[in-house]
Amino acid sequence: MRGTDDSAIRSRNESAWLLPNDGSRTDHRLRADMRRYDLDEEVDLVVVGAGAGGSVLTQRLARAGWKVVCLDAGPFWDPDADWVSDERGSHTLYWTEPRQIGGADPVPLGSNNSGRGVGGSMVHFAGYVPRFHPSDFRTRTTDGVGADWPIDYADLRPYYEQIEQELPVAGQHWPWGDPHDYPHHAHPVSGNGDIFLRGAAAAGIEARVGPVAIPNGRFGNRPHCIYRGFCLQGCKVNAKASPLITHVPDALAHGAEIRSSSHVSRVLVDDTTGRATGVTYLHGGLEYRQRARMVAVAGYSIETPRLLLLSASTRFPDGLANDFDQVGRYLMVQGAPQTAGRFESEIRMYKGPPPEVSSEQFYETDPTKPYKRGWSIQTVSPLPITWSEHVTAQGHWGSVLREYMRDYVHWSTLGALCEFLPHADNRVTLADEQDRHGLPVAHFSYSKGDNDKALMQAAQKSMEAILHAAGASEVMTVQRYAHLVGGARMAARPEDGVVDADLRTFAVPNLYITDGSVLPTQGSANPALTIMSLAARAADRLAAGARSGLTEGARR
Amino acid sequence: MPYRAPNQRAVTPQGRGRFPGFDVLEEVHRWDDVTAGVVLARLAPTTDLSFFSLAEDGAATALTDLLFAQDDEPRVPVVAMIDARLAAGETDGWHYDDMPQDAEAWRQTLAALDADAQDVAGTAFARLEHGNRAAIVQRVQDLGADAQQWRGLPAHRVWSLWTRYGCAAFYSHPWAWNEMGFPGPAYPRGYKNLGIDSREPFEVADADGTDPVTSTRTVEQFRTARSRLLDSRLEGGS
Repeated sequence: MRGTDDSAIRSRNESAWLLPNDGSRTDHRLRADMRRYDLDEEVDLVVVGAGAGGSVLTQRLARAGWKVVCLDAGPFWDPDADWVSDERGSHTLYWTEPRQIGGADPVPLGSNNSGRGVGGSMVHFAGYVPRFHPSDFRTRTTDGVGADWPIDYADLRPYYEQIEQELPVAGQHWPWGDPHDYPHHAHPVSGNGDIFLRGAAAAGIEARVGPVAIPNGRFGNRPHCIYRGFCLQGCKVNAKASPLITHVPDALAHGAEIRSSSHVSRVLVDDTTGRATGVTYLHGGLEYRQRARMVAVAGYSIETPRLLLLSASTRFPDGLANDFDQVGRYLMVQGAPQTAGRFESEIRMYKGPPPEVSSEQFYETDPTKPYKRGWSIQTVSPLPITWSEHVTAQGHWGSVLREYMRDYVHWSTLGALCEFLPHADNRVTLADEQDRHGLPVAHFSYSKGDNDKALMQAAQKSMEAILHAAGASEVMTVQRYAHLVGGARMAARPEDGVVDADLRTFAVPNLYITDGSVLPTQGSANPALTIMSLAARAADRLAAGARSGLTEGARR
Repeated sequence: MPYRAPNQRAVTPQGRGRFPGFDVLEEVHRWDDVTAGVVLARLAPTTDLSFFSLAEDGAATALTDLLFAQDDEPRVPVVAMIDARLAAGETDGWHYDDMPQDAEAWRQTLAALDADAQDVAGTAFARLEHGNRAAIVQRVQDLGADAQQWRGLPAHRVWSLWTRYGCAAFYSHPWAWNEMGFPGPAYPRGYKNLGIDSREPFEVADADGTDPVTSTRTVEQFRTARSRLLDSRLEGGS
């Protein structure tokens, strides 16, 4: 470990020290002793969703003395009892209520990009936490595509540094974007990472190890990573970061209530004042109502727009905060082709954290190319069921499928994240189908643009070049997507987005959105760190404005 | 460690594999018991089906035997595993807006296989001889590659449904892991030997090393030629 001061971290977030150190992963006493608020009590804040954005907001404002209730539709996980070291057995980690997908290029949801339960999709995210580049915040001005953010990189930078310490992040010195160091040294690389490093060196491409949200060494009561490769199935070790262990324990210790298995069905507004008054939610087959002086929605890019649309009222007939038809629009995914290469040697890519080695050499716009913006490359390490998707995507079945699958230990896999641009028609609407609560489900329509398609092809070529340079005898690529952001984006004007620079909705003064749906562009970076950092910044501004009145404060 | 009879060790589907003697279940004592329970349950005797009808069972068994080349015992019980999912309503949490929900899509597509078989040979899909069955399945894939409909549904979505559910079942089974040298659950033991050509004491080297690329091309060329012969009898697909 280098240059980190535990006491400084503990002074703002003690979560890692509130976990048990006896080999179990959950402090049940802390949960049992959790403060509980009456439904009739008007709490300071109700947060919808205990994922990356909602948990950080809850922790920060609980520490600031606010009465916070955070509701999540899924369980309050115990890694010992609820998670398994098995691909198929981990389906409970995903949002499995129905959703419809359509458009010219429908984006499958489920295991890839949805979460459920306390910790959200970070419970099963790959653990990769790069920052956005400064250029990401002004692509409209600089590149003529995408959108400018109402904040700059410099506004977010102190929060990136805070969250990197709290997760904490391990990696080599990062030379791209705003160059920076990480609090922990990089982890050792496995066979898959070694292939990337060798191939990149031979192809003349810069690559680095990290940044992964796994401490290298002990951090509080979190044990060392055991390199078992099941990051995407929930970390039973408590080594990989998720809000369940990085922010929720400290939130509980400071009086927040996490109410799990509570599916929020509606944000309530008083049509005479135009202000939010609380939420209704479903728990154990019954509907409840929690009153609050402020509401923050953090249900991610599908469920946040859906909830706003489901919360229509007389005053807001087209859905909350939707006066300019912006809710659900500009939803983005990253193009995420994955290219695998075959080697005579045994790679056994299932060992170690799936993302280990990365390159951001192609992240920025290359003026010599016909397309704008770029992509990043990372190791990915599909387990057998996911690997079978790579093989069947080539059209293989029967004896051929079996033969390729038997060859698993010889393959190494890289994944790209291509910066797809925001398009207004890529959006969430309400479908004609209902969930088991009788609520209309989300329909997500997605179509790629020409720039998006060009990036996918260029990214695939760069991965093939690396794998061939490393000695691969054959390569195969599967076309896929990763991550979700946008759908309720921040903007300088209400005509262009749903929330302002402080994540407050333009339309309802005490309604905030604190999740990935506020991102106007996405870069080629995995979004978790940026979502947490935006929530930490919003919390700072709310806490600072509290003395001027909770709902009138928080102005820039 | 739970007892296993000598002939239950290092089992692979149809006895095929490249990792002699490799048995993920030898390590059960080093797994956590929640994970062990989930994995060992896949070895339990299958019960009667809850979701598929008898006719659907016939078509589903014939289809998945083809998709996974399960032409002999021991078989991974793919149909029983899919049936349990559909009976429990355990989907992936999404469906294409031009497809029915998964359970209904399974019923429709199995009926469509029987309808194809009726047109080809006046019998059920499960009663067709192997070559015709394979040709019908190959034709669905070919229609999908051309963005065509098959019996009223987008063929590539049908293919995706079959392979997605089928692979999630087959490649969750410890016998399939034995076949491919994957050691399965890894908590709390983890891995110590991470590099290229490094193995843990419980991992077994690939004894064959067959590159699948060259050996499989001929199979796929033959299949496509065979499925073309059906086109005259199954005009238009949809």
